[in-house]
Amino acid sequence: MSSSLVEFSNSIADAVERVGTSVIAVLEGGREGVSGTLWREDLAVTAEHTIRGQNEVTVVLPNGEESKANVSGRDPGTDIAVLTIAQKSGAASLADESQARIGEIVLSVGRRGTDGLATTYGVISALGGPWRTWQGARIDRLLRLDLNPFTGFSGGPIVNARGEVLGIATSGPRRSVVTIPTSTVTRVVDQLLQRGRVARGYLGVGMQPVAFPDSARQALGTNADRGLLVVTVASGSSAEQSGVLLGDIIVTVNGSPVHSLRSLQPVLDSENVGKQVHFEIVRGGKFVKLSVTVGERPGS
Amino acid sequence: MSAAVNPTAFAGISIGTGVGSVTDWLRRITVRIAGSRNSHGSGILWSSEGLIVTNAHVASSSEHEIELSDGRKLQGWLLARDPKIDLAAIVITANNLSAASVRGARTMRVGEIVLAVGNPFDGVGAVSTGIVHQPVGRLPWLVADIRLAPGNSGGPLSDSQGNVIGVNSMIVGGLGWAVTSDSVNAFLRRERLTEVT
Repeated sequence: MSSSLVEFSNSIADAVERVGTSVIAVLEGGREGVSGTLWREDLAVTAEHTIRGQNEVTVVLPNGEESKANVSGRDPGTDIAVLTIAQKSGAASLADESQARIGEIVLSVGRRGTDGLATTYGVISALGGPWRTWQGARIDRLLRLDLNPFTGFSGGPIVNARGEVLGIATSGPRRSVVTIPTSTVTRVVDQLLQRGRVARGYLGVGMQPVAFPDSARQALGTNADRGLLVVTVASGSSAEQSGVLLGDIIVTVNGSPVHSLRSLQPVLDSENVGKQVHFEIVRGGKFVKLSVTVGERPGS
Repeated sequence: MSAAVNPTAFAGISIGTGVGSVTDWLRRITVRIAGSRNSHGSGILWSSEGLIVTNAHVASSSEHEIELSDGRKLQGWLLARDPKIDLAAIVITANNLSAASVRGARTMRVGEIVLAVGNPFDGVGAVSTGIVHQPVGRLPWLVADIRLAPGNSGGPLSDSQGNVIGVNSMIVGGLGWAVTSDSVNAFLRRERLTEVT
């Protein structure tokens, strides 16, 4: 009578076992150790915020052996750090997270030192498009989970019922789980390996939003109701070199009206570094067009 | 009961009936234990001759009123109590009872489905489901990702077939902690209660 419940039980345990061969423990992470996921045979990812300031960590591999791992790249924006491990293990099987469905059963899997795997289960409660972390980094897809986080889950995989990785788990506000989806992790890992870092765009301007009064809109002959007032220009920055002045009001970016500082975030994505961005600016009561080359944020 | 199940139904529906039939069985081996100040805990019928296993924090006095799943209320006598591992044994005068089928907790795999039956709040025989959170190590605990409430204390945690693997005992960090079936058996041997079974 309960055979399908037994089968269901076994399939969940199988999924944990399958992905467990690619889940490591990162002993120095967080307060009591965190987890990591083998993205390649000798390369794992973990939650960057849990190993901040460390260049080398101790990991426990799926076979139970301890090993040293080098922190070979980190991106605080997406909370991803890359660990290089001398010993090879099996890489995780990655899912196409765009195929994930609301209501699908998911597992958060971690490794607790030498005590073995740990897991909790839940469902995907909502899906959404790209979003940005508070540091401004782009996350390609929203996977909101109804799932109980446990001590040390950060850096471990979120997997579907087949044990395929939908993303990396990290901690969000109010004991929530944030999933960095597989496509974002792969993109960040590739950039970290190529360049050692994930470049973030930099213009060198400080701005604040301002609203145009009706009289100003009429005088300018524009529908725009707000703009970004330039309040600082960094010396030597690309904005300064392109002639951006204090007091300029940026009204459009690449033809799109700006509403808030968030409107500029897409311009600062790493793929735009070195590219030109086109501004329409109100200066001295007149529209002026300016092009600025996106620089790279110092120290990123 | 199986005749009521649509043969072309989704697997999900038969999983539901699976949970239902395991729950029916677990309810038969779960008793309600009246505690002080109108509180209730749960207990597990460990033998058909009336040996009941529960938590030490549920069995706090030498006598307790025990309510069986068929509604019978019987006097229960405390036989043994070990607060260190939070276990107690109670006996009632009855026989031919349904008794737990026990599975060693160490054989449970991480991720296996578990069920808990108990009497949380005012509920009688309420079921909750979850999965094994981590392997049973050296500690006498099985930790499960399952939602428990205070009245679950002393009640059974079972595998997907209704075999008892632990005695629900506490909630730590949102996870359910059960005393393993292995340590229950060790406790009963220590207290020389195995001959009762």
